[in-house]
Amino acid sequence: MIRPHHQISLFGLLVVAACGGAAPRGELPPPAPALAPSDTACLIAAGRPASRDTVAIALTDPVDPAHAPLPRNVAERFVFAQLYETLVRVDCQGRVLPALARSWEQGPEGRWTVTLRSDGRFWDGAPVTARDVLAAWRARDSSLARAITVPDDRVLSIDPSGLSFQRFADPTLAVTKSAPGGGWPIGTGHYWTTGSAGGAEALWASPVPGAGLPALKVTVAPASEARDAVDANADLLLTSDPAALDYGRTRSEYQDAPLGWDQTYVLLAPDGTSLELSALRLESLPQAVHVEARPAQGDDGGFWLIDLKRCGFAAEPASPRAPQRRRIVYEQTDRDARDLAARLVGLATLGRGAVVAGLAPVAFESAFRSGAEAAYVLRIRRRTVDPCAAARELPAWVARGSITPLIDTRTHALVRRGLPRLSVDWDGAVRLVPR
Amino acid sequence: MSFRARILIGLGLIVLFPLAVFELRVRADMADRLTAEYQRRVASLVAVIRADLSRDSAGIARRLDALKDAIAADNRFRLAALQGADRAYLLDYAGNAMRFTGLAMLQIQDEQGRIISSGHFRNEYDRVEPELPRLLATAPGGMALVEAPTAEATLLALARVDSLRLGGRRFTLVGGVAVDSNFLARLAPDSDLAVSLTLPTDTLARVDSAAQVVGTPLAVPFLGLRDSLGVSEARIVVTHSLAPLAALRRRVDVAFAVAVLLTGAIALLLASWLSNWISRPLRELARRTAEIDMERLDVAFESDRDDEIGALSRLLGAMMERLRAGAARLREAERRIAVGDLARQVNHDIKNGLIPIRNVFRHLLEAARSGPDRLAAALQDRQGTVESSISYLENLATNYARLSPQPAREPCDVNATVRETIRRVGEARRGDLKSELADALPVVRTDPLVLRRILENLIGNALDSLASPDGTVTVGTTRSAGGDGGRPVVRITVADTGKGMSREELNRAFDDFYTTKPDGTGLGLSIVRRLVLDADGALRVETAPGAGSKFIVELPGEGE
Repeated sequence: MIRPHHQISLFGLLVVAACGGAAPRGELPPPAPALAPSDTACLIAAGRPASRDTVAIALTDPVDPAHAPLPRNVAERFVFAQLYETLVRVDCQGRVLPALARSWEQGPEGRWTVTLRSDGRFWDGAPVTARDVLAAWRARDSSLARAITVPDDRVLSIDPSGLSFQRFADPTLAVTKSAPGGGWPIGTGHYWTTGSAGGAEALWASPVPGAGLPALKVTVAPASEARDAVDANADLLLTSDPAALDYGRTRSEYQDAPLGWDQTYVLLAPDGTSLELSALRLESLPQAVHVEARPAQGDDGGFWLIDLKRCGFAAEPASPRAPQRRRIVYEQTDRDARDLAARLVGLATLGRGAVVAGLAPVAFESAFRSGAEAAYVLRIRRRTVDPCAAARELPAWVARGSITPLIDTRTHALVRRGLPRLSVDWDGAVRLVPR
Repeated sequence: MSFRARILIGLGLIVLFPLAVFELRVRADMADRLTAEYQRRVASLVAVIRADLSRDSAGIARRLDALKDAIAADNRFRLAALQGADRAYLLDYAGNAMRFTGLAMLQIQDEQGRIISSGHFRNEYDRVEPELPRLLATAPGGMALVEAPTAEATLLALARVDSLRLGGRRFTLVGGVAVDSNFLARLAPDSDLAVSLTLPTDTLARVDSAAQVVGTPLAVPFLGLRDSLGVSEARIVVTHSLAPLAALRRRVDVAFAVAVLLTGAIALLLASWLSNWISRPLRELARRTAEIDMERLDVAFESDRDDEIGALSRLLGAMMERLRAGAARLREAERRIAVGDLARQVNHDIKNGLIPIRNVFRHLLEAARSGPDRLAAALQDRQGTVESSISYLENLATNYARLSPQPAREPCDVNATVRETIRRVGEARRGDLKSELADALPVVRTDPLVLRRILENLIGNALDSLASPDGTVTVGTTRSAGGDGGRPVVRITVADTGKGMSREELNRAFDDFYTTKPDGTGLGLSIVRRLVLDADGALRVETAPGAGSKFIVELPGEGE
């Protein structure tokens, strides 16, 4: 698995968009619907909110407060989803739902007017104003901030040029402010925390008053110990480890909820001519990894990374400089990337004699930026609301190199029956639904 | 080349040459014996490795046999392999089995040679490679070194092949143990022995036979997969490092170097002492011999040694005694000859003058006897003869006086002459000579040569009189009044701490030909007195037996 801070460099701007395809652009979604309580399309648990005082969460990835609010792995995606809010969120069916924004409309001149909800507050009790939103965004996307005016404490006026409304569901644009003394940024979500999770220590997240949610006890353990979390009676386990999932399925008190196909492994080669893609048998690739996988599938618009022309990237010819070593490089902590790379060698995708090389995260990041290797196996988000923004985070050689999607993978949630309502967003983020 | 240098070089060669020969011989024998021992060890290890390979091959065969039983009993495998169910189980089967059996390579192929499970390269499934089991089956002993690809690198394994039938289909198992650095290190029992593997593809593999003992290579069948699959031959080479021998040589060299240094130092000290012991007395004898001169026959050659050098010293001493005696006799003879000649000449000349006078006197006696009146006539008659004879004698005296040249009368600096004389005598004689000279002495009008001769005689006599080497001779000058008409007087004293003179000796000291020295002429003090008187000076002596002597010369000085 790509280490979080490297992963974010590639996927930081990849956020959810409408279900079933690349994000629509420059279009205002329908007015915020009020989901009926009976709408359970995206729920993986539907118990009463107050049925438990504490929910024990088991995760298999590290959680680093320094990454907040932008998640870099499944665990952070879960934790940050509870702590931080964006203006809107997109559910598993691609429906844009209110979050910090209560409503939105489009004026005759085309500008969007977004009204914040009146009870939005930071953890420290301060009300969330339109200026707080603008200040948070200015630090992360200055061009976006320039397109926004603040006519009122609760109203944002937005020039939609080049923007999709779903962009406001991007975790990058979660509204936060720095905490005195560092640590977790102060958010506006339904939970707050000041702790940390690591080793045997659990992260405790407390619900904000009035949310009617149970407290969260988050423990982080290696994937190989995921079954121990089941035996320790965790209420929710997010994992892709097949052994843990098989074990959980044997326990009647748990139900297995597969989340969306949210990650795609791709083969990137600076010089596409060095690949023998005819040898690449995509249907055999899922067997190469030890997680649930399928041959990579694009949505109706195709895999977003392949079509970069619309983002203005020049399709320059590949560099004539041949790589010095015929090897496929992967980040050594990502076992699935290693299995895929090995399979590609087994299929002689780079010809006979090619080898794989697992690099430490820092070395891999450097090697990936340089484009000096023959090929790279990389895991990226399968969906993004702004492919061009995501692509800009990639090295320039990607636009002129060869991009081959290999497999899609997804995470499963082992959910104890009777848990409070848990919903799944378009990007696979699981969140507890407040009252 | 000096005697000392010869001794040093000779002794050094005597000590160092045998040592060098000894060391070279020891080094050569050591190298021969150790090299032979290394060769025996290498040959033994080759035999052991051959046995180890056979044992490893048998072990692989046993494990594959056990694996066949396990596969036959595994229904899940059967379903996966025959029915295509549970593909993940099948793909991971070889990896799990490989770990349980301790193999490093395990590949399961179906009858078409398609890899259905691979332990060392899990994701090479579906690759068709029927040649590997076929060639392995034909390899001698059913065993071969196999280059098997993995994802990261090429795995070199000692492999065997086996097969089983399952549901009417034949499956082939290729299993092996890794042949890596650990495997090779395990074959070598100690660090001096090294086991290396040379593959046919290692074109640059080379064994440095100069630095190690190389055994007979052990050939092992080899299946290389890089280019075309085929059976060739790899070689296991056992070498024994020569480093221990080199280290032993270095230690021996160091030990010999230390021994050579120590022995050389001891030899040097011994040679130095020996050469000094021999050459120093010889140099001393040479130095003393160089001092021998007719004027210097007092050189001593005493020695207490009872060796050849002592004998030589005593011989030289005896020779010196004979030289001294001969010189004394020679001087005495010369003196006698000189005095005798002079005496005979004077006798002859005086007689020539006296004979006419005696004849006249006889004539006068005859005349007086014959008659008094004839005496006057005879006297008158012979007066001329007498006068002529007297005149002859006067001339004779004048002529003899002329044998001694008249000294010049010129202003003379007494102190300068004293210093010059002391310097000259000091160069020729040994003895403690001191001077106590007064300042501002008046000038003396005399011949400087005369004054120097006076001083040389007095100082020489004083030095001769010294009874012991500690004695001193002091020459002093003073100024005193009391000369004629109030003229200043320059007083020169020559005092010694010698044996002094008795009254009798003093009374005769100034007589001609009187001397107490065996080699003296007896004229020295006589001449001194005459020269002092000629210079209008005075000479006196203060002496006593055992108290030394002081000769005092007073010369009239020039007025202020």
